[in-house]
Amino acid sequence: MIPSLFPSKRRLQQRRAQKFWAVAALALLTLIFAACASQPETVGESAPATESQSTAAPAAEEAMAPIKIGVLAPLSAPGAVVGGETLRAAMLIAADEINAQDRPLGRPLELIIVDTEGLPERGTAAMERLINQDGVVAIAGSFHSSVGVATKEVAHDNGIPIVFVETWNDTITSVQYPEVFRLAPLNSEVAAEDVKFIQWLRDKAGVSIEKVVILTENTDYGIPAAEETTRLLEELSIGTVTFSVDIGTQDFAGIIERVKAENPDMIVILATGEAGYDFPQQAADAGIGPQDVPTLCNHVSLESDAFWRNVPDGNFCFVRRIGPPPQLYNDVAINFLTEYQARTGKEAAESFALAAYDSIRLIAQAISEAGSTDPTEIINALENITHEGSLGTITFPINQNNTPEQAGLDPKWWHQFPDPIITVVQYQEAGQDSINAISVYPASYQTGDPVIVGQ
Amino acid sequence: MACGSLPFARNRMEHAAIFGWALLWFAFWGVVGGVITPQIYARKDLEISQASFGGAVIGAALGPFSLLPLWIATPKIDNRMIGVAGALVVGIFITAFALADPDNLCVANGEFVISQLANGIVIGIIYGLMALGLTLIFSILGVVSFAHGEFYMIGGMVTYFMTAEWLPGAPPIVGILASCVVTFSIGYIFERIFLRPLGSGQIERPGEYAILVTFGLAFFLQYFTQALASANPVKAQRFFPFPRTEIPLDSGSLLRTTPGNITILDTISIPNPRFTAALLALIMLAALLWFLYHTWTGKALRAVSQDRQAAAVAGINPNSMNTLAFSLGAMLAGLSGASLVQVFSWLPQVGIPAAARSFVIIVLGGMGSLPGAFLGGLVVGIVEAAGTGCVPDATRAAAYIPAYGMVILTLVLLLKPTGLFGREL
Repeated sequence: MIPSLFPSKRRLQQRRAQKFWAVAALALLTLIFAACASQPETVGESAPATESQSTAAPAAEEAMAPIKIGVLAPLSAPGAVVGGETLRAAMLIAADEINAQDRPLGRPLELIIVDTEGLPERGTAAMERLINQDGVVAIAGSFHSSVGVATKEVAHDNGIPIVFVETWNDTITSVQYPEVFRLAPLNSEVAAEDVKFIQWLRDKAGVSIEKVVILTENTDYGIPAAEETTRLLEELSIGTVTFSVDIGTQDFAGIIERVKAENPDMIVILATGEAGYDFPQQAADAGIGPQDVPTLCNHVSLESDAFWRNVPDGNFCFVRRIGPPPQLYNDVAINFLTEYQARTGKEAAESFALAAYDSIRLIAQAISEAGSTDPTEIINALENITHEGSLGTITFPINQNNTPEQAGLDPKWWHQFPDPIITVVQYQEAGQDSINAISVYPASYQTGDPVIVGQ
Repeated sequence: MACGSLPFARNRMEHAAIFGWALLWFAFWGVVGGVITPQIYARKDLEISQASFGGAVIGAALGPFSLLPLWIATPKIDNRMIGVAGALVVGIFITAFALADPDNLCVANGEFVISQLANGIVIGIIYGLMALGLTLIFSILGVVSFAHGEFYMIGGMVTYFMTAEWLPGAPPIVGILASCVVTFSIGYIFERIFLRPLGSGQIERPGEYAILVTFGLAFFLQYFTQALASANPVKAQRFFPFPRTEIPLDSGSLLRTTPGNITILDTISIPNPRFTAALLALIMLAALLWFLYHTWTGKALRAVSQDRQAAAVAGINPNSMNTLAFSLGAMLAGLSGASLVQVFSWLPQVGIPAAARSFVIIVLGGMGSLPGAFLGGLVVGIVEAAGTGCVPDATRAAAYIPAYGMVILTLVLLLKPTGLFGREL
């Protein structure tokens, strides 16, 4: 029987009505999910809204209102989602602790968390929203340098203090904006430490290193880091070949063939996010992975659950760790780690988790010491702060009272936490937690000898 | 800072001028041939459908030495003539490149070239499978599905969760089958509810409706998956670890396998996950072709793609074919994802670049053409591999990966908008 292609008018009307409601339902669901994904996440205690309060004086209401702190984190691709989730978890722990024990000005802290997707344009839009719509008094977070470079301008334009947690680009602080503070290390300093480690491998551990391949990302973190690493390695007469990829690149097959053809003595991975997992595993599949050539994997590899899930052949990766090694944790760090383990199920806390945790506590202390939520007062308090955090004693010694010129230092040290400890650990067993990974460099923090592959 | 000024961006062509002049030659004579040839053919009242494309390719190949005879003799421009001219263009391009950069790995290292070619073919086969689904949907429904990348993503997610989370240790085939069932079902339900009105003429502006509704589905699936599975990257274990083998036994010079790799003739090295993914793609391609050409339902699908009204008169229900085509297309995308979740880290957003690449492929192959989609996948895979392997500046070679596909798309739209196997518009 031939089907009727021309149904009756009544039937058509019924179908149209069905379709209308179906389309409307799908559109509604889509909107809900899209809205859920793009809306800032508000976490923390809100002021209780009671009937008696509604009649209270506006000043009293304000006195009880939560203090809003903005949080920037990459919570969806192409950003480093694992890093973003870590920042969020650590900051929530800090906010909960502060709200339970030590409220600044007696008011609860409210975190407004926004997703930057690791993209500068998304980061600046989120910052504008946090400042102009949500009315935050300070901001913390950010994982990607490109986001940090862009968002520092918004903070400066609006006079809102921002504490960067995991953005390493030197220019973020070297522009010397009063609003910008940083707990993360400087790109150039980390590159110098990487090169010192490579030099140590060559000169002390007896590894033959004449040529290093660098895989970097085309970002404000990756490009300067690769430049500096290249420059310093060349000073040591070590040749380099750099391959750069866009953030979000998945397929490295072509690059890996080129890396193989270069026959490197060591590989350094400066690509974050999923690329930090995809490259070492695809290299391992091709026979030039961490078990074949000494490889300094990206620091995202410290998130051991995600690392082993995505890089099952990643054993013997060297990973740079920022912050104190677990054996040197102070009480603040130990308490944080206990709570972090309970909430996330992870065995170890990444270095930037400690920095994220400290950033919120730092801002809360600055508000208390300022006695005000006025951003200018908070900035002044941050300049003079001495905070006992999980990273150690945090200060910003290069500031308006002791400028880089006066101190004879490079402008990059402006509002920079000067003392992050940098060590290199190595996974020496498949599935090992990063907290149990062997600390191989520097000698003062060494818990074991490095395993050198491919020699 | 511009990339060109980076201190490590030092890999340059030795004789770049040779290559630059060759490109200028192609561009100039290609434009001259493409513009003037159709005018000459039209003045002589000759067939001009291939004149622009053919004139451009013939002009790019030998410039005035081929264009003048063409314009004087005005022979019928057929595919064979274009093919020969195209081969000449490729030959001149490769020669100019080799002369310009004799130390380039793509010139000096035969093993490297073969490995890159193998990489391109392997990934191209998988691209082709995904694009097949998109072109199948377009050929039957006349709809470009903007949710195709999300079906790809769901295929991978379902496979991962089935084999790693819900049924740890389950054979990969369980995950692959589950991904087929899930993506086919979503496609089926979506088509029945949202796309069926297109087939019965109830929608006044079907083109816009189809774009909006498939976009809506894409957003819904992406954020729904993110809400359920989080945005953390996941990855399935390799499906079938190879046994350790060497043929011949003492040297392995013909074939050598390790759990993660297969090496053929000591030259072509293919990682295990890519090899199994490409193998799966080929099996699925064969099954699809068998289905389309040897079953009544497959023939009915092809009939509807050729002439909807005539197929209806012959007793085929076009609406059912629409549903089947959309579900099957979604399943093919899901299957591509299922095979690649052991290769790449998998996220809810993983389908976006894959879908963009599929659009390039089906335009290259010809909208609605199944062989075109497969061939287009191979071409894109090989061009990406060649670009990544041969661009002299290592700092830029991989950064240009998304651009290679776009260059192909631009050239196809300029020179042959109907694609390699597309129907005349």
